[in-house]
Amino acid sequence: MTTFTIQDVRKTFTNGEVSEQVLKGIHLGLQQGEITALVGASGSGKSMLLTIAAGLQHASGGQIPFEGQDMTGMTQEEIRKIRASQFGFIFQSSHLVPFLTVEDQLMLMLDVSETRMSKREQKEEVMKILKWVGMDHRKDAYPASLSGGEKQRVAIGRAIIHKPKMLFADEPTASLDSTRSRDVMTLIRKLTKEFNITTLLVTHDEEMLSYADRIVTMKDGLIVQSGM
Amino acid sequence: MNMAWKEIRKSRIKFIILGSIIFLVSLLTFIISGLANGLSRDNAALIKDLPDGHFYMNNQANETYNLSKIDPAVQKRVLQEHQDAAALSIQMGFVNDAEDKQHGVAFVTSTESKWFANVKPGEIVLDRSLEKDGIHVGDVLTNNQFSGTFKVIGFADHKKYSHSPVAYIHMDNYKEMYRVNTMQLLFIPGQDEPQSIDGLQSFSNHQFLNTIASYNAEQMSLNMIIWFLVAISGMLFAIFFYMMNVQKIGLYGILKAIGVKTRTLFRMMWAQMFFITAIALVLSIALSQGFNLIAPEGMPFSLTMGTTLQLSILFFIIGFIGATLSGLQIRKVEPLQAIQQGDI
Repeated sequence: MTTFTIQDVRKTFTNGEVSEQVLKGIHLGLQQGEITALVGASGSGKSMLLTIAAGLQHASGGQIPFEGQDMTGMTQEEIRKIRASQFGFIFQSSHLVPFLTVEDQLMLMLDVSETRMSKREQKEEVMKILKWVGMDHRKDAYPASLSGGEKQRVAIGRAIIHKPKMLFADEPTASLDSTRSRDVMTLIRKLTKEFNITTLLVTHDEEMLSYADRIVTMKDGLIVQSGM
Repeated sequence: MNMAWKEIRKSRIKFIILGSIIFLVSLLTFIISGLANGLSRDNAALIKDLPDGHFYMNNQANETYNLSKIDPAVQKRVLQEHQDAAALSIQMGFVNDAEDKQHGVAFVTSTESKWFANVKPGEIVLDRSLEKDGIHVGDVLTNNQFSGTFKVIGFADHKKYSHSPVAYIHMDNYKEMYRVNTMQLLFIPGQDEPQSIDGLQSFSNHQFLNTIASYNAEQMSLNMIIWFLVAISGMLFAIFFYMMNVQKIGLYGILKAIGVKTRTLFRMMWAQMFFITAIALVLSIALSQGFNLIAPEGMPFSLTMGTTLQLSILFFIIGFIGATLSGLQIRKVEPLQAIQQGDI
């Protein structure tokens, strides 16, 4: 089932009289419970497409319908609410909050998404997800004392704790060695299937493509190939 | 989630440094304010203890009470019109005790009034500070401009003028000592608006204090120091929070990306500012009030809780403004920019 569509999305940067079109009318449908991997050379526009789809920057044209509304016409606050409650993010670096423990990183996300749970229920949910990502034994640790792979596991936990519909992962294994990269990708695949999330992944690493359900190749701001 | 508190707990040293600076600046402000108040009382308690009202001196006095001469007819008329008004004169001088030791005083004389000590000719009432210098009730004092002697009949508490103890004497004695037949000032208490009196210029209590050159210069210098310290503390807040915010730009971007409201980030910064300021102020208030109790007797120091609270509120306001100004950059943080950078 297609749950997220990108329709004729364009992005143009203008500097004085010079303008450059980096996305030239992208059409893409994402399936629920599947990982769609965006691949392509640097400058092909894959990260740009991910950040526009995630509401982190505006498109110059086109439509991104979500829950009956076009995201490209929404206010900053409307998009923020969607990011807080319906989207999950995994970045290249884990980007954990340095002064929060592992447990608090996930509690923060429950607060941000305004999940209606008591404190006790929140703690139980956090422990459940930490077990799921294999980090329950480090719940009181601060990010500085975690390894790169552990940080990324916590970041994955933070991305899914509020049960988002969409998961955006921008090069989630770029800063990890191959063993840890495989662990992280296994985890992302597992949660995509388990929680029936729609995942959009950007990666450079061809080895990681085996974890994707669909691979979309981009070149010069256009989709040039799409397949399983 | 109380992120503000969690950050303070995790980054204790950073916040202790800021708190210590605010503590030291606020303590210095309280101490200087206490000294300003103390000096102000030491300089003009005689005037400051009077009820609100208006002083009058003649137009030709060039706003200098020493040069003022009140026409006796005008004085008589005003005193008849206002039962609680008084005519008074003040002159600096000295008295000699039985051992011929000189004591500097401010001679004050007035018509009969409840605001000033009333004495008979040949009697004198002194500020209590002179009791500590060994003068007792019943002692006889002299002055080289006065043909007679003064018998000490009592002491008044905290009556100082121009940093000298006040000596209340009778008008007749005063007129003989200073070879004058007129009084310098009229004081009418309880007037909200000054009265128009021919040939006289009116001054509120505050305005009158400012005509005393030494008082004005002293208070202006001290107030300038106080305001300078308040401004410095505001700048410290602004600079410190600016530095912290610059370090946290990436973090703010990520928090915004995952959906944290900008308002929440501002609240976090304000909560930290209020927490640090409150702790710093509680400590500096306790220490300055302690100093108030143990300050050496000769040191003019007076720090009321009212002044302390006013300054504390000012510190909170200035801290809030400083932190907010430095935090304006939070609004400009783009989540995307932070994501494209490395780890926080």
